[in-house]
Amino acid sequence: MNLDGMLRDKRVIVLCGAGGVGKTTTAAALGVAAARAGRHVLVLTIDPARRLAEAMGLKENGPEPTTVPLERLYADGPVGEGRLDVWMLEPRIVFERMVRKLSATESAARAILDHRLYRFLSELVAGVQEYAAAEALDGFLAEGHYDLILLDTPPSRHALDFLEAPGRLARFLDERVVSLFGPDSGRTGRLWQGAQALVGKVLDGIFGGGFAQEMRTFVGAFGGLFAGIRLHTERLREHLTSKDAAFLLVTSPEAAAMREATFFRDALQARGLPFAGYVLNRSWAREDGLAPAANLKPHANNSTDTDAVLALEHLAGVEDARAKAHRSLLDRLAEGLPLGALAIAAPDAGADLEDFRGLVHLGDALTVA
Amino acid sequence: MARADGGVVLDSLWNRRAVLVSGKGGVGKTTLSAAMAVAAARSGRPVLLAELSPDEGGPSTLAALVGAKEAGAKVVPVRPNLSFVRLAASEGHRQFLEETLPVKWLADAALRSRALRRFLEAGPALKEMGLLYQMLTLVRRAHPDGRPMYPLAVVDLPATGHALALATLPRSVLSLMPGGPIGRAVREGLDLLQDPTRTGVVLTSLPEPLPVSETLSMARELKDVGLPLSAVLLNRLPEDPFTPESRAALDRLLETHGPHRGQRALERLERAREARKRLAEDTSVPQWGLPELALTGMALVERLAELLLPTLEEAAHAGGREATP
Repeated sequence: MNLDGMLRDKRVIVLCGAGGVGKTTTAAALGVAAARAGRHVLVLTIDPARRLAEAMGLKENGPEPTTVPLERLYADGPVGEGRLDVWMLEPRIVFERMVRKLSATESAARAILDHRLYRFLSELVAGVQEYAAAEALDGFLAEGHYDLILLDTPPSRHALDFLEAPGRLARFLDERVVSLFGPDSGRTGRLWQGAQALVGKVLDGIFGGGFAQEMRTFVGAFGGLFAGIRLHTERLREHLTSKDAAFLLVTSPEAAAMREATFFRDALQARGLPFAGYVLNRSWAREDGLAPAANLKPHANNSTDTDAVLALEHLAGVEDARAKAHRSLLDRLAEGLPLGALAIAAPDAGADLEDFRGLVHLGDALTVA
Repeated sequence: MARADGGVVLDSLWNRRAVLVSGKGGVGKTTLSAAMAVAAARSGRPVLLAELSPDEGGPSTLAALVGAKEAGAKVVPVRPNLSFVRLAASEGHRQFLEETLPVKWLADAALRSRALRRFLEAGPALKEMGLLYQMLTLVRRAHPDGRPMYPLAVVDLPATGHALALATLPRSVLSLMPGGPIGRAVREGLDLLQDPTRTGVVLTSLPEPLPVSETLSMARELKDVGLPLSAVLLNRLPEDPFTPESRAALDRLLETHGPHRGQRALERLERAREARKRLAEDTSVPQWGLPELALTGMALVERLAELLLPTLEEAAHAGGREATP
């Protein structure tokens, strides 16, 4: 399968990779290509960088996905069937919605949302952002409004944790921590009360008076959501392990980025997620088909010109060596790919990706490869 | 290129207690941290190279780059004047509990509580607090005669969450648990971090538009949280074979005869030039450049350290504080 086919057939494509390799841009360009091919597409990004929004002409983070104007999407021809929405995921909004949805009553939801510690949830609990991404993706998939969703993950080794974030949330609020801060159990044994008093003393010593009590009410209020959270994650996991899903690893030629790609490939395998291939960004692996620099020699009129051509020849030599190295890198990536997976090089777009046309070109270049 | 260009004196930077190396993933931050520590050690300063890694359990690239045999929460000597440590939140928590709780048995009880340990591990702010605390403890550690044991710590910060997470930590911790001893500890850490005579932040970057945009926005954020930016270190500068005259001649030739091979390298050179210009215009700190080298791993670290060294020796000789590029 090529990337074009993938964009036509899949329902969800997740892009993973190190920071700075162009994941967000790749997600956007693929979204543009899929929409222009007639699908109803959502690009979901949790990368806090605002560049994608700028390229798409979106001003601010909104509570809902924003539709890319049709005159922009189809600037160079007749308007087609496809539509493109983009959303810069806002964990706070997603989380608040989730709390409301999963709480039994409005007052139960309020008990969490109005709690002083709720504001610090992301500082207190690792994985909140990742979990918000999972929750949002699950919501959009369940809703069925889009043909294809492209998810751009954060540039961290924890990117795939979004599938396990409920596990991490649960670990934070696991029995032991709950027992530390949990609401009064009504137990009255002397020994138990003595132990509780000791725990209270230690906690007040460490965190300052009052904090432990606050934690206690918060943990108590939050604990009720877990059954619902688990259900959503299981549903999402089913979606993401199905053949409707594909995980693309985005990398640049740098050693560190390649190491991350290998790490992610192993992580996908370990989780039973469908690895669909590599996109090699920022590389010179593609031929540019230009004439040799030496062809300029006959046009040199003086010694400065000759120096200039010699210097260009030198640069061309450096460029060739680099291009060759990048091509062998691409070959290495292509080796041992599972059936149907691909390894493609994106053209080096350099600084051209500042506007929407750049995304259109990149999308076209990726899908004809 | 014979040496790190820019000719900027590192001397004043080496006289700080902590040099925090930050930057986005993929710019070579870890290699540059190693090279800076090796250069400072070679110039005769006792250096502690510290890693602040989000994955405390995984293999350490930084340890491998300087040839450290172990990567753990215990400081290990690597070579003359160079030690290595991987800061660990759990170690910081331990030290914190021992110093905070009034009696030893209470600290022991707290440390034995798996629930408490888990709670301290689970929250990012609490985790970073542990890392900061261990760093603080190491910076404070002194010989019996009062001389600091580690006068210079070079700290490789994680690519995500970078220096800012450390600097905003006190704020979040203080609003989370105002008044507690944790608040006091992080405030002390913040005093160290925000003191420009004791701390310097070095931002690593690449001479390309996006990395430079990110560096500039990081520089602004550092300013907002009061962390002192000392220098920008540009890695992998492409070689420039042109004189201004030959470059102008080439532009004329290409305009008449169209693009030829070498075009991509030429564009890259142009982007690098533009990147350096933008950095110089938008920041007031020195900019150092290191050339792109066909080396990897330890060999690359040693070579980069060599390139950084002459500026150091020059500085010692001239006794100067700062030079301009």
